[in-house]
Amino acid sequence: MSSPSLDAGQIAFMRAGVSISVATCSAGGVPELVRAIGCRVSDDGSSVTVFVPESKSQCVQRDIFANGRIAVAFTQPSSHRTMQLKSDDARVTASSTEDLQVVAAYCDAFVAEVGAIGFREEMVRMLLSCPPNELVGLTFRPQQAFTQTPGPNAGKPLEAGA
Amino acid sequence: MSEVRLDTIRECFEGVIPAVLATADKEGVPNVSYLSQVQYIDREHIALSYQFFNKTRQNILANPRARLMVINPFTGAQYSLQIEYLRTETSGSLFESMKARLAGIASHVGMSGVFHLLGSDVYRVNDLLRVDKDAVPAPEASRNTLAALRVCSERLAACRDLDRLFDEIMACLDEKLGISHAMLLMHDTAAGNLYTVASHGYAESGVGSEIRMGQGVIGVAARERTPIRISHMTAEYSYSRAIREQLTDSELAEEIPFPGLAESRSQLAVPIVGCDYLLGVLYVESPQDLRFSYDDEDALVTLSGQLAMQMYILQNAAQAEPEPLAAPDEARAQREAAPLVVRHYAGNDSVFFGDDYLIKGVAGAVLWCLLKDHATLGRTCFSNRELRLDPRIRLPDVSDNLEARLVLLARRLCERDAGVQIEKTGRGHFRLCVHQPLVLHEVI
Repeated sequence: MSSPSLDAGQIAFMRAGVSISVATCSAGGVPELVRAIGCRVSDDGSSVTVFVPESKSQCVQRDIFANGRIAVAFTQPSSHRTMQLKSDDARVTASSTEDLQVVAAYCDAFVAEVGAIGFREEMVRMLLSCPPNELVGLTFRPQQAFTQTPGPNAGKPLEAGA
Repeated sequence: MSEVRLDTIRECFEGVIPAVLATADKEGVPNVSYLSQVQYIDREHIALSYQFFNKTRQNILANPRARLMVINPFTGAQYSLQIEYLRTETSGSLFESMKARLAGIASHVGMSGVFHLLGSDVYRVNDLLRVDKDAVPAPEASRNTLAALRVCSERLAACRDLDRLFDEIMACLDEKLGISHAMLLMHDTAAGNLYTVASHGYAESGVGSEIRMGQGVIGVAARERTPIRISHMTAEYSYSRAIREQLTDSELAEEIPFPGLAESRSQLAVPIVGCDYLLGVLYVESPQDLRFSYDDEDALVTLSGQLAMQMYILQNAAQAEPEPLAAPDEARAQREAAPLVVRHYAGNDSVFFGDDYLIKGVAGAVLWCLLKDHATLGRTCFSNRELRLDPRIRLPDVSDNLEARLVLLARRLCERDAGVQIEKTGRGHFRLCVHQPLVLHEVI
């Protein structure tokens, strides 16, 4: 499967303080979910790593070990701009000290994003909390990308500039 | 992770933080979507809004198993629900309730032209887990709703007539539940509408104002016999503009302005149903977003059930007591004033005092009979029983709500201060007090 090309605006969007949700599916057809707390994207968009807490992602990790399938949605709460990436080559990766910095920066950005629409910082930090030694990466090569912003184009393949 | 009961996490379903739904197709390819609305149905079921035919839709039709993540907006606690799609409802109480709520959410998030409910997808909740054990403390509750409900219930139970009952429910909502804008409307089966008999918290009482079945939050709650709760302002369900647009010029002349808030940001309408019969609607609103919770809805549904029973008892009890001694009101001399012209339009039983519209319908017919009997026979004392039997009034056969209509009439007369009043003299008996010379004109 060829990779969709993500443009610089889309990559910047993924790296910003947007809400990130990760879904997988078990062999038995039961979907799983976990909220990610940061994202690393290669500059050409060919490699994406989303970070999740170990304790909250057990089922997701199990599914990824089993079949490598992943769907990740990025949405900006203030604008509802949403995009989704899918892949079947995801793997679980260890996190580095640099990744901890990515996560810390993400948390600050997300607190600012939702603070502007009225959410308390204390609550938001609780939602994103993760002990440093529990951070796990889920790395994949995006194979499909969709726009999911509510409206007539929702669900269509992501186009440049969208 | 620990197991949790669905009815203890209902604040997660208020739409403050969008829920996330994971589905998968038959091949096991996962998909994530964000949901504007999750509706609690009961301890084992929820409904999700179906707004677009999208990947989520295709997936649940192919594989009914899904995973839902919701967040408590106060504490940040996350919950994971394993759910299974059962069916889609496209009409009825659940659908109408969700449609109204979605209109409020859409307006709040600037998606009024985009969000439309196509159906209510009903899911069974097979498993519910708390994802993390940490959470910030919830804000202190402003009241104990159950304790407040008990006091309200006791106060209502102590009311011995409808007039008092109507005022007491308004006072209870304000004092015990902190709800300072409220209305009570009664159902007029024959006319197919609802008329206001009591209100609280508005500059004008609006007693006598009418809402058509199906119109706005109140009309939909009445038609569907289901509570309708909206947590944000929405033009789609607002009253001030919609009502005026639907009325003809001649109807406008007879319109008593509806007393609602100009900018209502939270609305809750609860049908008053007893013995499967719609008696009216209890309506509350607030200028604040997200003012009414699932708990408030439960409280008002419970109070409405008691209201229904008590209205029914008081309507019937009104006929039970013996007639009191007639006490003609000789002490009050008629005011020395120019005669007041009272016109009655037989077509819809509307009554005008001078040029001012007073009332119409059954209450108008009752007033006209009282005034005629007062003018021709000199009568001042009347009983509910004789009104029920009076062929001039044409009460509907079933559940006529005569007492409620008399309360409405008495309140309208009192508000108009036009020299004509009705005073209760006992259960099922009242006196007509005319303080001004009247000239009666029948307009056919």
